[in-house]
Amino acid sequence: MKRAAILWRVASVLVAAGFIAAWQLIANLKLVSPVFLPGPDRAWAALVRGFSSGDLAGKLIGTLEHMAYGWFAASIAGIGLGALIGSSKMMRAYVAPSLEFLRPLPVSAIIPVAIAMLGLTQGMALFVIAFGAIWPIMLATIHGFAAVEPRLYEVARSLQMSRAAIIAKIALPSALPDILAGMRLSLTVALILSVVCEILAGLDGLGHWVLLSARAFRSADLFAGVILLGATGYVTSIAMSLLEQRLLAWQAAAR
Amino acid sequence: MSVVARLDEARAARRQKTLIAFNAATLRLGGKTIIENLDLQVRPGEFLCIVGASGCGKTTALRLAAGLYRPTSGAVTFDGEPITEPRREVAIVFQDYGKALLPWRTAAGNISLALEASRVPVRERGARIEALLRKVGLPGHADKYPTEMSGGMQQRLQIARCLAQEPSTLLMDEPFGALDAMTRQGLQDEVLSLTQASQTTVVFVTHDLDEAIYLGDRVIGLLPHPGRIGIELDVDLPRPRDQLATREHPEFLRLRRQLFDFIKATEH
Repeated sequence: MKRAAILWRVASVLVAAGFIAAWQLIANLKLVSPVFLPGPDRAWAALVRGFSSGDLAGKLIGTLEHMAYGWFAASIAGIGLGALIGSSKMMRAYVAPSLEFLRPLPVSAIIPVAIAMLGLTQGMALFVIAFGAIWPIMLATIHGFAAVEPRLYEVARSLQMSRAAIIAKIALPSALPDILAGMRLSLTVALILSVVCEILAGLDGLGHWVLLSARAFRSADLFAGVILLGATGYVTSIAMSLLEQRLLAWQAAAR
Repeated sequence: MSVVARLDEARAARRQKTLIAFNAATLRLGGKTIIENLDLQVRPGEFLCIVGASGCGKTTALRLAAGLYRPTSGAVTFDGEPITEPRREVAIVFQDYGKALLPWRTAAGNISLALEASRVPVRERGARIEALLRKVGLPGHADKYPTEMSGGMQQRLQIARCLAQEPSTLLMDEPFGALDAMTRQGLQDEVLSLTQASQTTVVFVTHDLDEAIYLGDRVIGLLPHPGRIGIELDVDLPRPRDQLATREHPEFLRLRRQLFDFIKATEH
């Protein structure tokens, strides 16, 4: 069992190495002009150069900041609103139709509105990222709160638990798997929107870096930025998985 | 008056007293009359079993006593006061232990929930939890999650959580209905020894007639549609009860016959 797991891990690394080798091959054979496609060697060199000069680190931090602020704001608001709506049948009935209208709205359609109202500012970026990232979290929280086992509420009643205790000890832990899944989805949304906002509003970050590199035909720098964005998505997603594993250890016990 | 006579009198007086009383209690839910004009007295310290065909409202009667439902008309009282909400001295053991336990808390954590609700100080909880786990035969399982436990163990855990409330009354809703026969018999004896020693009042709903006679001081059979009392039997079997001797006792067999005949008659 364990050996099989290791073999799978090795296989996945080999596949990734294969992709990089194919990329190098394509670049070496100049199937695509080097102006547009650098090999992994040049992209890596650009990455190292960017970090040693300090430029790229600043951009990375900028993007991480946009992402983190927007995601945190979305998480707090999404869990709060979701709990409020999800814990009351009446609220669900009243609010759900409006949510169904707002939810499928493309966030990109909100950006011009946000720019008109807030200008090309960090505040605008925060608003757009939070607005886009709130939906998965809020909807998951609503679902989580609505799906709490009714028997547990009866247990809480028979123990005469306070409303606050019921939320903290029954509803929230019961909804936590849903909430965390929503937060993980939102992480990707937050990253996408951070890049979009940086490109549109010229805010400091990897999005802006990628845009400027492309305009100047510095394809190696462009790819360095793209690789960094991919790594950001990958690492944050893994961190989120680790957090989930820790918080939901009781679910592993069930299996 | 001699001391013995006085004690006898006190005992007789307690027998006459009622702890939980249904006075012409009627419950309608969604246009259906589930229970109609139910008159029922639960005496302090007694073990009362309620049986009946499915749909006769036995669980509903228990939920009324628990304060989870309020009667549409009539009254259900505890110690003379109308029951409007669940109270801490009354604990409820649900049939579906899998749903009544918090899956994200260990055995110790689940018991702790009741202690937290009763505001037991943190430093006292550990010892109380350990004692309760030992009491229900689960020592050494404190750190297990409910999903890692068998059905019988989970039900023991739920009983331990109820005992953590230090209740004067236990309301048990078909607590052993989902367990296999051996586990069920073991738990029957444990519940008897736990409640008899502490003089806990028990209202025990079951569809198992043998179980009702084996456990109870009194067995009440409900008639369905709408639920009302059809039969009331005093069980005069010696205590402590014994899985073999009690079930072979002529009186047990007589009561069993009477109860089976009653249930059979309600099914037509």
